[in-house]
Amino acid sequence: MKSTIPPDLPSGPARPQRSIFAIGAALSAIGIVAFLVGVASEHPAQAWQAYLINFLLWSAIAQGAVLFSAVTHITKARWSGPLDGLSGAFAGFFPLSFGLFLLLFLGKVHVFPWMHEDLHGKEIWLNIPFLFGRDAVGLLILYGVGFAFLAYALKLKLDPAQTAIGLRRLVRPAPPLDSGEANRIRSRMSLWAGLYIFAFAFVLSLIGFDLVMSMDPHWVSTLFGAYHFVKAFYIGLGGLIILAAIVYQHQGKSTGLAPNHFHDIGKLFLAFCLMWADFFYVQLVVIWYGNLPEETHYVILRTMLPPWRPLAWTVFFMCFIIPFLVLINKSVKSKPRFMMGLCGMVIVGMWLEHLLLIGPALNHGAAEVPLGITDGLIFVGFLGLMVLAVAYTLRLFPELISGSGKELHAGS
Amino acid sequence: MPAETYIMGLFRDDGKAARAIQDLGAAGFSFRRAHSPIPSHKIMEVLKLKKGRVGWFTLTGGILGFLSGFALAIFCSVQWDLIVSGKPIVALIPFVIVGFEFTILFSVFGNVIGLLVCSRLPDYRGLELYDPRCSGEHFGVLASCESTRQGELMGFFQKQGGEARVFE
Repeated sequence: MKSTIPPDLPSGPARPQRSIFAIGAALSAIGIVAFLVGVASEHPAQAWQAYLINFLLWSAIAQGAVLFSAVTHITKARWSGPLDGLSGAFAGFFPLSFGLFLLLFLGKVHVFPWMHEDLHGKEIWLNIPFLFGRDAVGLLILYGVGFAFLAYALKLKLDPAQTAIGLRRLVRPAPPLDSGEANRIRSRMSLWAGLYIFAFAFVLSLIGFDLVMSMDPHWVSTLFGAYHFVKAFYIGLGGLIILAAIVYQHQGKSTGLAPNHFHDIGKLFLAFCLMWADFFYVQLVVIWYGNLPEETHYVILRTMLPPWRPLAWTVFFMCFIIPFLVLINKSVKSKPRFMMGLCGMVIVGMWLEHLLLIGPALNHGAAEVPLGITDGLIFVGFLGLMVLAVAYTLRLFPELISGSGKELHAGS
Repeated sequence: MPAETYIMGLFRDDGKAARAIQDLGAAGFSFRRAHSPIPSHKIMEVLKLKKGRVGWFTLTGGILGFLSGFALAIFCSVQWDLIVSGKPIVALIPFVIVGFEFTILFSVFGNVIGLLVCSRLPDYRGLELYDPRCSGEHFGVLASCESTRQGELMGFFQKQGGEARVFE
């Protein structure tokens, strides 16, 4: 990994240590080996299922975390402070996410059960070239807009007089950076932030419909897309809290982070915990009232029949009941270490939730939940990729940690 | 013994108000009260206030509301026993809506009652020592001193970046 670490960067108190890269690389290697072994085995479908689930989960964390920065910028929120910069570090996962999506093409036979089904006219929408084409374009737009927003955010943090190479040179503002230029950059940030929010809702809805809901091609819920992007913001906030807690534990107050920041983002996390449960419930209650067999079978299979029923309750407790009851308390939200554990639990819960949504369609008549050691190792591998991406971004742009790079021009 | 004078420092910035509260004691003045148009972490930190008990009223209200909402929905359904579209008479899934709405409603009731009880409201004492701007865009710090030191206290507030108002 040595070659991937950019040299000659400005010194700062909060750059990730090289050991983080070693840990990330080790975790990634474990996941890659587990995936390759799984794909080469007699049942490659299991490995591809785990791959799809983890692609959706970790991409959503990165997309949701970057959304935080866009939302706080466009609402002119002041409370978020150093969390804004940290959320930008998740954009480092965007290129990986896009590459991982393209790789999914190789496992299309295993992850799209509708490929050999009679789709009763839905073939126009559900066919491999169109699906991969539109989703790839959507992700490209989302990630491109996200990078544009972050490039402008970095212009306000980088020192124009400092010598820079590579990406730093690309985003560095042209000297002199006076207040007029700073205001122009801020207005550009607002434009790109707005576009990112719009693209986030649109593209994540598309991904939700195409890669999750289409697993059962005869089942339709018009709110499923919104459910998918609300969930992405929920776990994005979880990922951001974990990163902020790790940075705070290692660097302390030099990062600009304080317990108040954890308290405030903890409240937002609680709000989106409720929002996620609400988006689940509003779909459920409509299906319950309608009582149409083509709609109810999806819910009955996943929540009332074995082997999925215990998993559904586990997800409900891990992602709603426990965080809701715990986060009512004010003081726990201010404890970074505690919040790290709680957010970790929600992310694992969402990993299981993806399995609950996708698993039954890929494992008809399963006697037990198809969850083995390979699934766990592939999860670890994606975690390693996320660690590498975030650590690399923070090493490349240590200014994202507020303690080492506040905005050069404060004010409106 | 010289008479006591009350002076309020009015600040546009809660940070300056918090600093004034912090420095009042060291300057030999008595801090009396702080007024803020919004909840301010900075002021709360320097005042070292104990955590209020209003949250417990809200929680109790919420739990009672949740149970009352379900109880009301179940009671009404059982009174009529009408089976609609083959649904069970006591159907918990739609009753969540009633339970949720009542949770919010009773939480608000609990919160308001808790606020009145914990703040001992209504309280008409001390209104003569209040400036209406503290309900707008100013943070008020009320302090007292011997009348002979009135000029010193006014100077203190002005030095801290505020405006001083003397209550006669």
